[in-house]
This record gives sequence, structure tokens and C-alpha cells, in this order.
Amino acid sequence: MTPTSLVSRQWLPSSSPPLLQLLSRLLSTLLLFSLAGSTVADTYDETLLLQPLSGQFLLASFNFRSHGPIQAFNKQMFQLFPRSLGQILQYTHTRELHLRFALGRWDSELWGAQPDDGQNAGGTGVELWAWVEADNDVEAEARWTSLNNALSGLFCASLNFIDSTRTIRPVMSFSPTGDYPTTNTTRLFLLHGTLPKEPVCTENLTPFLKLLPCKGKFGISTLLDGHKLFDASFQSMSIDVRPICSATTGECDIEIQQNIDMVLDISRSLQRKDSPVPRPRDQHELICDATKSYGSTEYCYPLDNSFDLPWSLSDLFGKSILGRCPFAVRSDQEVAHVCIAAPKERIVSLPEGSDVTQKTLEDGRRCYTLRDNQPFDVFLPKQEPPTSPHRQEPLLYAERSFTGHGQEHGGVKTVLRNPSTTDAVEVVYLESLPWFMKPYLHTLKAELLPSPPPSAGKDAGKVISELYYRPALDRKRGTQLEAKLVVPPNSVVIMTYDFEKAVLRYTEYPPDANRGFDVASAVITIPPHRRKSDGKFVPATSIRTTSLLLSLPTPDFSMPYNVIIFTSTIMALAFGSIFNLLVRRFVAVDEVQRMNLKATIKGWIGKLSKSKEE
Amino acid sequence: MDANTQLRDAALPPGFQDDTNAAAAEATYKNPPPEAPETIRTRSWVIASFWIVAIFLGLPLWHATTTIYRAPLPMQEMQNWSEGKLCKTEFPLLVEVEAPPSFPDAESLLKTVQHALDDANDFAAHKPHHLRLRLAAKKAKSATEDPKADKDENVACLLRLLPDSRNGFNHTVHSSSRTVDIHYPPPSSSSQSSISAGLAKFVAEILEVLFWQEQELIEHLLLPQTSNPGSLNALSSQSVDESRDKKTPPARPRALTADINRRMSRVVKYSPSYHLTFSLFTATSTPASWDIESAISQYLTPLLSALSSISNFTISTQVQYYASISSSVTPTYDEQLHAWTLKKEDLSSFINSAEWPLASISNDPNLNFILYIPHPSITPLTIPSALHSDSFLLPQWGGVTILNLDQNPAEHLSHVTLKPAMETFATHLLALLGAPPHPASLPIRLDSLTRQRSAEVLVSASSTLGSLQRLVNALPSISIPATVSTSVKDSIRHLSLACEELRKGSFVKALEMGRVAQEEAEKAFFERTMVAQVYFPDEHKLAVYLPLLGPVSVPLVLGIFREVKRVLAERRTRQGIS
Repeated sequence: MTPTSLVSRQWLPSSSPPLLQLLSRLLSTLLLFSLAGSTVADTYDETLLLQPLSGQFLLASFNFRSHGPIQAFNKQMFQLFPRSLGQILQYTHTRELHLRFALGRWDSELWGAQPDDGQNAGGTGVELWAWVEADNDVEAEARWTSLNNALSGLFCASLNFIDSTRTIRPVMSFSPTGDYPTTNTTRLFLLHGTLPKEPVCTENLTPFLKLLPCKGKFGISTLLDGHKLFDASFQSMSIDVRPICSATTGECDIEIQQNIDMVLDISRSLQRKDSPVPRPRDQHELICDATKSYGSTEYCYPLDNSFDLPWSLSDLFGKSILGRCPFAVRSDQEVAHVCIAAPKERIVSLPEGSDVTQKTLEDGRRCYTLRDNQPFDVFLPKQEPPTSPHRQEPLLYAERSFTGHGQEHGGVKTVLRNPSTTDAVEVVYLESLPWFMKPYLHTLKAELLPSPPPSAGKDAGKVISELYYRPALDRKRGTQLEAKLVVPPNSVVIMTYDFEKAVLRYTEYPPDANRGFDVASAVITIPPHRRKSDGKFVPATSIRTTSLLLSLPTPDFSMPYNVIIFTSTIMALAFGSIFNLLVRRFVAVDEVQRMNLKATIKGWIGKLSKSKEE
Repeated sequence: MDANTQLRDAALPPGFQDDTNAAAAEATYKNPPPEAPETIRTRSWVIASFWIVAIFLGLPLWHATTTIYRAPLPMQEMQNWSEGKLCKTEFPLLVEVEAPPSFPDAESLLKTVQHALDDANDFAAHKPHHLRLRLAAKKAKSATEDPKADKDENVACLLRLLPDSRNGFNHTVHSSSRTVDIHYPPPSSSSQSSISAGLAKFVAEILEVLFWQEQELIEHLLLPQTSNPGSLNALSSQSVDESRDKKTPPARPRALTADINRRMSRVVKYSPSYHLTFSLFTATSTPASWDIESAISQYLTPLLSALSSISNFTISTQVQYYASISSSVTPTYDEQLHAWTLKKEDLSSFINSAEWPLASISNDPNLNFILYIPHPSITPLTIPSALHSDSFLLPQWGGVTILNLDQNPAEHLSHVTLKPAMETFATHLLALLGAPPHPASLPIRLDSLTRQRSAEVLVSASSTLGSLQRLVNALPSISIPATVSTSVKDSIRHLSLACEELRKGSFVKALEMGRVAQEEAEKAFFERTMVAQVYFPDEHKLAVYLPLLGPVSVPLVLGIFREVKRVLAERRTRQGIS
């Protein structure tokens, strides 16, 4: 985001009746001086960026941003800022909030760097971090808990399960993005929590849309539909609230930014349009690789990417954009609502009869301004040979996996690869591990490949420059591991450590205990820096690995009753034998009085019949 | 010897055989040698000691480890409070009378009025709770002399007697003070006594008129307290408030019960602070903003600061665009009115709670005030069947005002446009808080609200205590933590303090005490740990204990059975010998 976009603009058109306006002006100046401030309305922007990715994928980035004066926010006089969220932030003294809902994996090998330098992406499930203002740590913790509980209710997510075991306080990874000219920064506490298991779904999208001023009824948000969004290969929803202050006037605004990134598999979406249930493709629809010598009319070796699939907004999303949100309009300039970042060769056509103007930006984006009450759709026809979408090489590739076997020990292996041939990358690696996964810090090793020549000195192989480690406490808090390391150009750093699996208590297992326990994504942050080779500024970037599934020794859950029965039986046996030993009289074999079973039964019957006769 | 004896002998193990029967045993087996008496004694001791350990160590240990902790509660006191035995609620009201110096014999006038009032106070005869109106007989400017009237707030009302030759007897109530002016025709020397008598009657009537509504209301509040508390069954399934609502007061002689009930059902539960949410819901995107801040500061802040002695208020406002009313509500077009109309039944479902973000996070009760601007296609929208055609009150929830704008509405709603709506909201707020609508004087109404609220918290706290007491009696398996006990004691202490303050006539303090009592009582009643044990069924306990107790108790019981048998047999032989 550029600082120039933060200048607040008034979007109130001057269409109100002049008399009324004059009256209100007059009254406002006469009665209340503060009134002048209240007529300054909040500003709002919304943009949709459509960017084809390689492999017939399409990235759709929705961005909704509004900001208004922080005085009105503090007085709880909300206009475009959603009151439901604003009240929570005020109540919990949260100054800056970042909330992420994500599903799927961003395939950086295929798609390149994440949009917006990964700033809007979160780990699988739910991730939340916030700067809470408090006097001390205990108070911050209490406010954090109530923040989680309130957000849990607002977004219908299990955020209330972010307790002290899932909360960490990162030291190096995050820094506030807002401006705090008046707040004492020692009073700001950063807390970070993750819920890797949370299934993100429609019930989280609905409250997300309710926070928007146009509520998914007008503008680009009309495209957002749970069925399409959660059918995507990758999707991430984010909410960021922060204060931003103008450097010149010192006036502060509160900004809320809502983002949705989704990667659509175009062929899958088009198929969904044709038939709601998946079905195999007909033979004539298949494109076969005829160059293969072993190919025949019976067998088909499908050929990928032989042409660009045709698509339109209504094909992919099931509907076209309806009108525009009146708040995202400026009277003084045309605002680009929808932009398409397709290669220049790719043809983009608008349906006939639409009077939407196309504007091509310097970077080749084609942008469109929505019109009131007019549906908007774009169509990209089939194109052969295929265009190659622009792919931005990420700064770093990261992968994380489990190693080892058995129910007792395991290991984690993280592979960080720097694709750049010229520049080393300094990264901060952050792991938030659950308490039942106990890493051995002495096994933490970072290996550099290719290994530096022995002539380079002893320190050449040392990758980790700083390490921050907070060990877990059973059932109280999880492990926090932060490492600052440098990945030299064109090389790979392999970081490994071993851990021990704890045995949980009977009640601590979830209902589906045999599925395993999710371990939150590692957060890899690349701080903003100036590239050494060409001096270009690189903004802060973050990358998240996938979450891991840890299987713990799982007991048989009928165990407690079995244990009770077993111990009871053993105790009863022991007691019985001891008691009998003490009480019984021991005699020789021939002294034992034999029981005459026959006579006994006869006696019983005789007794019975006698009593009957009587 | 019959088969019976034989059977018994056969069933007995060798060690327990009597020597006399030994001969009857089969000849091929030897008889065991007779046991030494020490062995027999040791065996008895062993069995006895096992039983002693089981009874005196095992059972108490079992009991101690499985018993549910129940802190002692002052049950009788709680019951007495809930039955209203401990506090005879009194509301002594002090009325000052300011007579002009020319007025002859004010003292006797006051005496007459007091008599008239006491006679008229027919509640005093048969109702335990009543209001006693007392007259502080004072001449002009003598307020400071009266030790009881040293504080202004203790004076419920100031009557000013003013001679007025023109209009005869009449009165005016000042809207912003507690003063009531009473005009009377100046006495001529001849008919002084008749004027005095007429004036006395008139003053008594006015006082009656000023306070009867409040009396009715407080009496209504206090009545259920003395009536029979709800049945136990009703209690265990319902919360306190519900069970309290269920109790229908006995038939009242006055026809106003329905009206009071209606008014009381609107009133929100008392709280020391409320959160007010003002929302502008518009069906389109216009108007985009409103001058709510200045509108509130001009039209509402004076009222809120007047109410501050009873409750504090926090305020938040919001604007919501593209807000549609519930789909179940469909306005119909009325040709005669040239307007779209809403039926009275529609009003209860008017609020689209699924889509309108109206929930509030604050701990205080939230009151919503909604300004709704309908879509141009259904403008103007009115409610012809209601009292006000453009606004309605949702009991215990808030108020809604519909604002019909012309076809090209302004982007911004000025506070001038908002004025009528804000005035409606102010009326709604007073109704929701339970302020009586009657006397024109706001201070008198607010005083009356204070008294009404104190009566309410007293009743509420006592009945919560009563409910807790019945709950504890009804469910012996719930645990009672020590915190409940302290809360109950605190509540009772504050209840008696409140009662004392009421008797002294300082209602604000009484309200404060009553509020604490209510809070504590509710804290005790809604203690979370109390319900944890309720659903632990006995079958489970049995299933856990049986595998241990079954196998262990069988040898123990059999052991004592044999021992008893042996002792009996021994005694019989001894008798046979002797």
C-alpha cells in the first residue's frame, strides 16, 4: 500500500438540497463546533484483481478497504466501520488486529509468489494476532481471551479455543503495521494464536460479508458465494484493522481492510457449470498427445495447457457483478473496480451493449469502472497457442514435513530454498508447537547445501544467527521457537529437530483421536530490506508452510471401565484369598466332610413337597 | 434327626461340624480333631476386625471421598426474605408545603390534610405495604429548620400555596422541578374556615393524584412477594424471572391492573448502566450519514444526565445500508391513505435479526433505537393501527421509528430532521426504563422511578434467594460451593441495609444497596459449578463400585454368617448339655 492512498477523501456528493445544507451548516457552526468533524464521511474502496496463473488457474483477489477518523471510532459513532467489530476492539483495547482464515495450499512452484507478498495469507485454519493495549501481561492475557471469545461469536469460528496453550508472543516475526504516535509502545502486547484444525466454511464467510457496507448486495462482493469460494484450490480471507496517521497533520484514521484471495481451477469451475456432479470427460473433449508413439485411438495421453480455456466471470462465479457499491465511487475521478492482469496477448472482451470503459494501466492491467445498476461481466475467449502468465519468482521456497517413525519420537524437517542466484535472504522462522509435541532443542540443526568449502572458515556453515526459544509447560503453554537465519543465494537450508510425543490424558483427546493432531503452519517472515545486488527495496514478505498432522499414541477409549474391572477383580481375588486363609480351618484330606450332592438335592425336594402337602 | 438337620450338617464344611453330629458323618472319613478354643477365638477376632475396618474406616473414607460439598446456607432467612417477612417495605414521602405569610393557620390546614390523607389511605388497613405521605409543615423559607428536610432529595414534592383570586382552586406542575403551585381564592374574612376546609380537601386530592400511579405500581410489584411462592416444579425448570412472571397477582379491586401489567412488561431489568445503540437502517445507500452526535447531545443528553442518579448510559451509533426488513413482513398499499401500511402483527417480526447486526458486546443491557428508512418503492410506510403512525416500542428491547423521506433524499440527515425521531426515542427510553407517565414534573417522575426501581430490585433479590433456597432443597445432589454461601450472606446483608435506607427515606442509597443484593443473589443462583454434578446418574456409580464391592463383600458376609451359625450351634449344645 502506498502512503498516498491513505489521504482521506470525501465521497459525499453535493446533491443534497442547498437549503437544507445551508441550514445544517448554519446550525452546526452555531451550535456545535465539533459538528464539522462529523460530516467528514468514511472512505471506502473495493477492487477485484483477476490474474491468470500458470496451469489454467485464476487468482481472484478481492480487496475491501475503508477508513474513517479515529475520534468517531473511539466515541463508538460508527459509519462504514462495522460496529460489531469496532465494539469488540474497543472493549478489549485491541489496537491492531489481524485475522486470517485459510484453506488449501498455495502452490508456489506453479503459481509463483503469493499475492501482496503473502501479507494477507494465513496458515491453514485460523490465525489471529493482535496488539492489545494493557498495563501488564496478565491484563493483556485477559483482554486477549475476551477478544477471542467475542470474535468467535462474531465469525462463528472456534476462536474461543485459542487458550494459553495456543497463544505465543512472537519476538522477531511480527511488527505493528499501524501508527502509534500517542500510545506508549511498551503498553502494547503482541499475542498470536492459531487454530490449524478449524474448517473454514460458509458460516465464516457470511459474517465476513456482513462487515462490508454493501453486504454482498452490490458491487464486486456480489460474486462472493460460499459454494464457489470454498470450491477453490486455495482460498484465504483476511481482516486487518489498524490505525494510520498522517505524517503531516498528525490526524489518525482507523482502517479496516478485508481481503479474499482465491485460486480457481478454471477447468473444474467450468465443469461445475456444465454438471453439478463431477463426471469423466467425454472422449471428444479430451486433448490427446498425438506425438507419443504409443498413443492410439483407444488410449489417450492427455495434454495439458494446449490452449487457454475460455472463461467469463459468470461462468466461474455463477453470476455477474451487480451494479456498484455507491461508497466506492469518487466524484472527482474514475475508480478502477475490476482489473485483469492477463498477459497482453490475451484478448479480453466485454459483452455487447455495455458502456464500460477499459483503461490500460502502465503495468498492462486492464481496468474497468462499474456503473450503477448495470451488471458487469468480462469474457476471455479460448486462445491457442496458450499465453504464458507472468509468474513472479518467490523470494524463498519453504517446505516442512515430519520424519521418523513410531509412537514415541519424531522429527521435523524444514527445507528452505533460495532461488535467487545473487542475493542471500535473511528470514525469521517461527514455530508455534502444541505442548504435547516436545522438541529437543539440542537436536536443532541447520545444514547448508551445497555445504561451504572448508576454506571458507568455521562460521561459514553457521546459518542460524539468533534463536529465541520458550519451552512448553504441560497443559499451560506451547513451545515457541523463533530462529533468525540466512539462506545464501542458490542454496538450500535444511533445518531439523527431534521431538518427543507426550501421552495425553483420557479427556484430552478429541472425538476423532485417531485422525491425529494438527500442528500449526510455520511462519517465515522476510523483513523489509534493500536488495544488495540492485538496491531495490523489497517489502516485508511472509510465507507459511502447510500444517502438519501429528499422530500421538492413542489409547483404546473403553479403557477406564476395563481398568476398573481389572483392578477390582485383582483386589477382590487378593482379598478373598487372604480372608479365606485367615478364616478357614485346614484339615487332612481324609478328614474332609464330603458333600453328598444327591442327598442334598433329595433333601431339598423332600422339603419342598412336604411344605406343599401342608 | 430328620432330613432337615442332615441337610444342614451335610452342607457345613468340616471345620464347622458339631461334635455331636460327627458320628452321623460317613464312616470312611475320619473326624477332624476338635479345634482349640484359641483358634476359634482368633477366627472370630479376624472376622470382627475385618468388619470393624470396613465399617469404621472403609465406609467413612468412602463417604468422605464421594460426598458432595454443600456449604451451609441460611435457609430459613432466605425463605423469610422471599416471603417478605423480614422487610416491611415502606416509602415515607416528605411533602413540603410553602404557604404565604398571609395564610392564616397553616398548621391546622396541614393537620386536616394529613387526616384526610390517612383516611383516604385505604391501603393501610389491609395491605402490608403501603406509602405513607407525611407533611412537613413549614412556613416559607424554613426548609433548613427541619432536620428531616435537610437534604433536597428527601423532599418528594414542594407544594406552594399561592392566593389567586381569578380562577378558584387549580394547580400547575412545574416540569423541571419538584414544585407544584396550588392556587386558591384568597380568603375573605367571613368564610375563612370554609376556604381552609376546601383547600385542605383540594390539597389532599392533588397529592393523591400526584402519587397514586406510583403507589399502584409499587403495590403491584410488592404483591407477588407476599403471595405464595411458585411451586417447586415450576422452579426447577425455569429461571427466576420466568417463574416470577408466572405468578399472577390476585384479582385487584382497581381496573388498572392490566394497564400496569402492560407497562411493567415493557420495562427492562434494572441495571446500574445501560448501553444505548442508535442505528440508522436504510433500505438503499441513502442517506449515507446522519448528524447523530449533535442530535444526541442536543435532544438526549439532558435527559440522560437527569437519569444519571438511577443509571448511567453509554452510547454507540451505526449506519447500516441495504437493510431489508424481515421477509415475513410485507407492507400493503392503502389507497385511502396513499401509503404503505404495516399491520400491528407485523411489528413484532419487523426486526430482521438474522441480518441486522444489533448484538452488543458490552456487559450492560443493550437498548436499541432504530431509525428505519424504507425503500423508495414502499415510501411512505406507516402503521395506521398503532398509537403513533411512525414508531413503535419493542418491550424490553428498544424502539423503532420509521422515517419517510421524499423521493430524492438528502445524502446527509441533519439533526433538525432527526429531532422528531430523537424525541420519540426519548419517550421510548423513559417507557423502557419504567418511568411513570403521569405527573408532568420530570424530577417527580424520576424520583418515583427510583422508588419503583428499589422496590423492584428488593423483590427480585428476595425472590432469587427464595428460588435458590427451594432449588437447594429440591436437589440434594447438587454441590454448593463456599462462594455461594458468601454471596447469599452478602445479599441478605445488603437487603436489610436497603430496607433500612428505605425506611429512612433515602431511596437512592436503598437502590444502590438493593442492586448489590440483587447482583449477589444472582451470582449465587447462577453459580456454574452447582450444576456440574446433577447429571451423574446412580447407574454409573453402581457400575463403577459393583466390580469391587461385590467380590469383596461376599466372603465377608459369608464369614460372618458362618460365625453367627457356629455361635448359635454352640449355644444350643451348651443348653442341651445343661
